[in-house]
Amino acid sequence: MQSAKTHPNAIYKRPAQLILRKLGISVSEYFIYGVLVLIFLTPLVWMVLGSLREEKEIFANLYPFSIHTFLPIKWTLKTYLDLFGISEEGVKYGLHFQRFMANSLLVSVAVVSSSLVFNTMGAYFFARLDFPFKNVLLIFVVATMLIPFQATIVPLYIVVSKLGLRDSFWGLIIPWFASPFVIFALAQFIKEIPKELDEAATIDGASLLGILRHVIIPNAIPGIITMALLEFQFIWNLFYWPLIVINDPDLQMIQVAIANQTTQTQVYWGRTFAGSSLASLPVIALFLALQKWYIQGVATTGLKG
Amino acid sequence: MQRYRLPDYRNGQAMTTIPLPSTNKITTILTQLWRPKTRYYLIASLFILPAIINFSVFRYLPIIAAARSSLWQYSLLGGYRDFIGLQHYANMMEDPYFWKSMNVTAMFVIMKVPLQVFLSLMLAILLQKETRSSAIVRSAVFTPVVTSVVVVSIIWAMMYHSQLGLINSILSMFGIPRQTFLTDPNRALPALTAMMVWKDLGFSMIIIMAGLKGIPTVYREAAIVDGAGPWQIMLHITLPLLKRVLMFVVVTQTIFSFQNFVPVYVMTKGGPIDSTKVIVYYIYQFGFLFQDMGYASAMSIVTLMILLVVSMIQMRIFRSDVEY
Repeated sequence: MQSAKTHPNAIYKRPAQLILRKLGISVSEYFIYGVLVLIFLTPLVWMVLGSLREEKEIFANLYPFSIHTFLPIKWTLKTYLDLFGISEEGVKYGLHFQRFMANSLLVSVAVVSSSLVFNTMGAYFFARLDFPFKNVLLIFVVATMLIPFQATIVPLYIVVSKLGLRDSFWGLIIPWFASPFVIFALAQFIKEIPKELDEAATIDGASLLGILRHVIIPNAIPGIITMALLEFQFIWNLFYWPLIVINDPDLQMIQVAIANQTTQTQVYWGRTFAGSSLASLPVIALFLALQKWYIQGVATTGLKG
Repeated sequence: MQRYRLPDYRNGQAMTTIPLPSTNKITTILTQLWRPKTRYYLIASLFILPAIINFSVFRYLPIIAAARSSLWQYSLLGGYRDFIGLQHYANMMEDPYFWKSMNVTAMFVIMKVPLQVFLSLMLAILLQKETRSSAIVRSAVFTPVVTSVVVVSIIWAMMYHSQLGLINSILSMFGIPRQTFLTDPNRALPALTAMMVWKDLGFSMIIIMAGLKGIPTVYREAAIVDGAGPWQIMLHITLPLLKRVLMFVVVTQTIFSFQNFVPVYVMTKGGPIDSTKVIVYYIYQFGFLFQDMGYASAMSIVTLMILLVVSMIQMRIFRSDVEY
């Protein structure tokens, strides 16, 4: 484009064949790109657009396949008003999705903040501090990564109910306030901070906590943000654990709430679409906004959240 | 640390202001503890203590509790009733549903992992370019990874719906008659597999892409100088150097996929005729629907052992591999 701008005739100087070939390659490449975007985004687009129309419209426009299979004819927020218990129908069914969203948000924020405090401290310990048998402790921490989470959830449930944490937010928060993956990944980040900074702070009379606060944390911010993102996604998307630990419907997290809603009332597709959008869009939006850090985090830790 | 410097005895005043060490036992211990090195260790231990407590109580203790309750007739309400030794494990060996669910789990892993790794390798190579359009496609491929597996399962269950599903609507465009997916015992597990490959593809793609970036360009350049074509470079340079990353993806995906639970819970509840009843769902049924925590714990221990063996193999591979 630039050369065409500076030399209006430049494009004609190129051999036509070359242009065609170049165009041909990029066309097939863009075709593949387009197909990929369609494959990976269609279900989510169907979900979001389906939540913005009336329910009978979803079914009426499914066959034959057309643009209106996706695109609403009449745009409306009715399904959301139902879910939040604002509309008449929502009141009738006693829906209050804001409650589940608030629960999920509260638990996620509590886990992320407590886990950042304790994991950063742990990471600092392994990256910098001197301690007898530190290697044994490191093995103790790293070995927990080998314990499969879903497969050992029954035993975890036994322990948590023995501690009396069942059916409370504590049961959702306390088991996750430290994570071996986060400690390990943050320790890698901290090791890359020049040690001279610590030493300078020591000479200035800073305590260990002072070094952590004023030297390590400011320099490890990218790593900390990345880990906070992964952790938030992990907790927000948690399903199996809240499913078994929480009995009180008012304390339930959003993922379990939408799953229960769909299995009980398979027919209300509009509301299901709206609930699913509410349960997934916060994390997707966070991902799109902070993508660079997110992908870096996944690539460096191999951690799925 | 300046505070712990020895007092300057050249100045006579210091001698008088610092009291002599007391002979009192408690004070001796206290002064010992207050030595800079010990004090440092004490403070340092506070940094790791919360994590150690968490891992002891919520990661290791459950395994001990499971090992114990697997030897008892145990339920949460009834507590420990009778000690039955290895009876649960013996029952497990003779439980056809246990073997069936292990079989289903293995089938799921065997279908999913190779397909996913192959496709994500292709995508990683295709989308490696640092152009704007490939960055957009990469984000699109990665979006299902951050979407909750519950939402993915719900939406795909609707897409797979035999009467009202989107997939049948798209198929009808090509004149293909309506298909059943989740209600057909032969198709339910492949349908779940396809969905989970779709969801996890972006995750393995990103890791493989990081691996591709880690390969020093000199090797590729040397091969080009020697006259190697793109396929030869792929086969003889890229793949061998990527072996480590690929093995990592295979092993971690095997461990993740072996524990597949949510899609089964949301979409099929293990059916039709147990064709999607994976092991974690079977454990869930025993532990929480049939309230038999003892048997559920025994099966958890066996699953844990299987996955530990997989992890050990992983460590072996990582140690023996050549660095580049």
